[in-house]
Amino acid sequence: MSDNTDDGDDTGTAADAPLDVDAGSDDATPELAIREPPVVLVPVEVLEGATLPDALVSFLAPARVIVLGYHVLPEQTPTEQASMQFEERAQAAVDDIAGAFVDAGGDPETRVVFTHDRDQTLERVAAELGATAILLPNPTGAVSEVLVPIRGTIDDDRLADLVATLADEAHERVTLWGLTDSPGGFDADAAAADAADRLRERGVTEAQLTTETATTETPIRDIVERSTDADVVVMGEGDESILDALFGDDAERVAEGAVAPVLVVRSREPEADDVEDSDEE
Amino acid sequence: MTAAEGEPSDVGENRAGEAPTTVAPPTATEETTTTDAGSELERTIGLSGGISIGVGTMIGAGIFVFPGLAAGRAGPAAAGSFALGAVIALLVALPTSELATAMPKSGGGYYFISRGLGALPGAIVGISIWLGLVFATAFYLVGFGNYAAAVLSEAGVAVGSIPIVIPPGLPTGAFLTALNLFGTERAAALQSYVVGLLLTILVRFLGFVGLDIPKVFGSASTPERFAPFGAMPVFTTAALVFTSYLGFAQVATVAGDIKEPGRNLPLAMVASVVIVGILYVTTIFVATSAFGSAALASFGETAIVEVARNFVGTAGAIAILLAGLLATLSSANASILSTSRAVFAVSKDAIIPSFAGRMNLKYGTPHIALAMAGGPVLVLTATGQVEVLAEVASFLHLVMYALMCVALIAMRRNEPEWYDPAFRVPAHRLVAGLGAVSSAGLILFMQPTSQIIGAVIMVASAGWYKYYASDVRLKGVL
Repeated sequence: MSDNTDDGDDTGTAADAPLDVDAGSDDATPELAIREPPVVLVPVEVLEGATLPDALVSFLAPARVIVLGYHVLPEQTPTEQASMQFEERAQAAVDDIAGAFVDAGGDPETRVVFTHDRDQTLERVAAELGATAILLPNPTGAVSEVLVPIRGTIDDDRLADLVATLADEAHERVTLWGLTDSPGGFDADAAAADAADRLRERGVTEAQLTTETATTETPIRDIVERSTDADVVVMGEGDESILDALFGDDAERVAEGAVAPVLVVRSREPEADDVEDSDEE
Repeated sequence: MTAAEGEPSDVGENRAGEAPTTVAPPTATEETTTTDAGSELERTIGLSGGISIGVGTMIGAGIFVFPGLAAGRAGPAAAGSFALGAVIALLVALPTSELATAMPKSGGGYYFISRGLGALPGAIVGISIWLGLVFATAFYLVGFGNYAAAVLSEAGVAVGSIPIVIPPGLPTGAFLTALNLFGTERAAALQSYVVGLLLTILVRFLGFVGLDIPKVFGSASTPERFAPFGAMPVFTTAALVFTSYLGFAQVATVAGDIKEPGRNLPLAMVASVVIVGILYVTTIFVATSAFGSAALASFGETAIVEVARNFVGTAGAIAILLAGLLATLSSANASILSTSRAVFAVSKDAIIPSFAGRMNLKYGTPHIALAMAGGPVLVLTATGQVEVLAEVASFLHLVMYALMCVALIAMRRNEPEWYDPAFRVPAHRLVAGLGAVSSAGLILFMQPTSQIIGAVIMVASAGWYKYYASDVRLKGVL
């Protein structure tokens, strides 16, 4: 495991808060720079023969990528037993995927985890790494359209860092798509405009950017439908709701229906120290 | 097979040339174990999961199978037998907790004994605990058969007097094995719900009865001496019903999967013994007070159903019948899982051929170990001998418990460098000494048949070790 060079946790900006509508006033020190180099967690169900499309690998390569090979076991099987038999295969498969990132000019790290609970593992590793985003893989061709639906809580600095790092001027266009359920509710126009500002601050050109808004009562379905035109979807975790337990969270539902891979931007942990203790069932 | 190449000369090889495999040092991280090759093993079972494994394994026997049998043997003093069992279980649970926090690895008692006392005692315990769990599973399945038969007769299906007990047990045993073979995604979560439901039913039942104290004490049959048959049956009954307390050590067999093992392992073990102990003693007390032991004994394995019928009416009887089905099933299932882990633990150490620990990639389950659990269970279930099955299971577990206590004393006397338990037993010599003596002592009160079967299994295990793996050394090997 290579070490964590400049995780950028020292940005210390006060702009960690979820997107606030009247933003745009906190640009006291505009700089064409990435604030926090994005860390992307790429989970791969490694013994199921899962692979990543080459186009996606080269799209993600500019970020600090951690390839997380995991294998989910039924509860009656000790993880130790599985690791004895399958560890070498799992590590070889993860190294293969990491090799693809190296070929694309990246410098990936790898981890292999045997677990009974995929979500717990992803959550733990992402928190340990302070990951900016988690990839929910789907097939894709060459990446040219990045769709960014914005519909409420999203860590806008992280979003901007991620998209600005990945979207390269020559190849990728970015569509910021503000979504609201009613004209009086979430201010989608302001949110999209604010995100566009932050992207421009980080060097995304006007030519790459499109900003749109829409009013809809079924945002998940709309995002899924629209994903046919996109090559990658970047979205926030969404607010937690009781429906999550039934249907999975918003991003998972999008990833399930969409034809494009989804990058889920994680909200920053409130306090890094609190995360450890909050996992009791 | 990653780490075996490390130092094969140190640990020896078995007849097939296989050396014990070390996967990971027993690091006591909170959420993962890291293997020698750098992979992480996620710990996914929390405190409630640990308690539900312990309670879920135990609760089937004490309340739903033994009340009638125990009352018939010891009279109202059967409550004392259960209390005695709880005390012994606690005396063993404390040393087990310390060992488990020092070595939070799957394998439980076998692992502690083989590392603390050496490969021969380890092999005897490892192999006989496999069979001990097989006996326990068969016992639970026979109990399940009793409940299934009672449900049928409650439903008005006319059944003959005896042979109905065995048939429901057999297909159920086969079904549970198959269920575990083909991967049940949320088996542990399901177990937690079942245990929660059972505890709710039982506590409500006992609460209901508690409101009816005059009836408890005023029933016609109540005036009865506490120990009508003297003190001896209290001990022999304790030996019989000790099967009701075998589950707590099963928590240690999943130690490798428990989060924050330093905190959760001791809590889960002690809490599960205390919870079931209180429930057992209360239930027996209520049951014997209400009916008198002779009447209770005549109801046999499903006596508690008649108690419920007396206090709560038909609805109560049906609730307890269903609870009995669930509880015996949950105990049987938990025991099958423990059996497969026990088989894995000895195969990993080359005590038995390593193919026994192989996994099936498609289903992700240890199919050979599960078959080695399920196969013999069916044979034993077919015998239908509740008391012998229970006692042999207890015998083999008690031997392990006594040796675990000895292993603790040995570890403490000469602490290896890596020995750093998060939980230390206070007055360990006294606690572990009493635990060892009382565990071994309980064996003496069993029926001769059970003692002979248990002793034969232990001798055969030792013989196997001498034949197959006499060069394997495990003492102090991590």
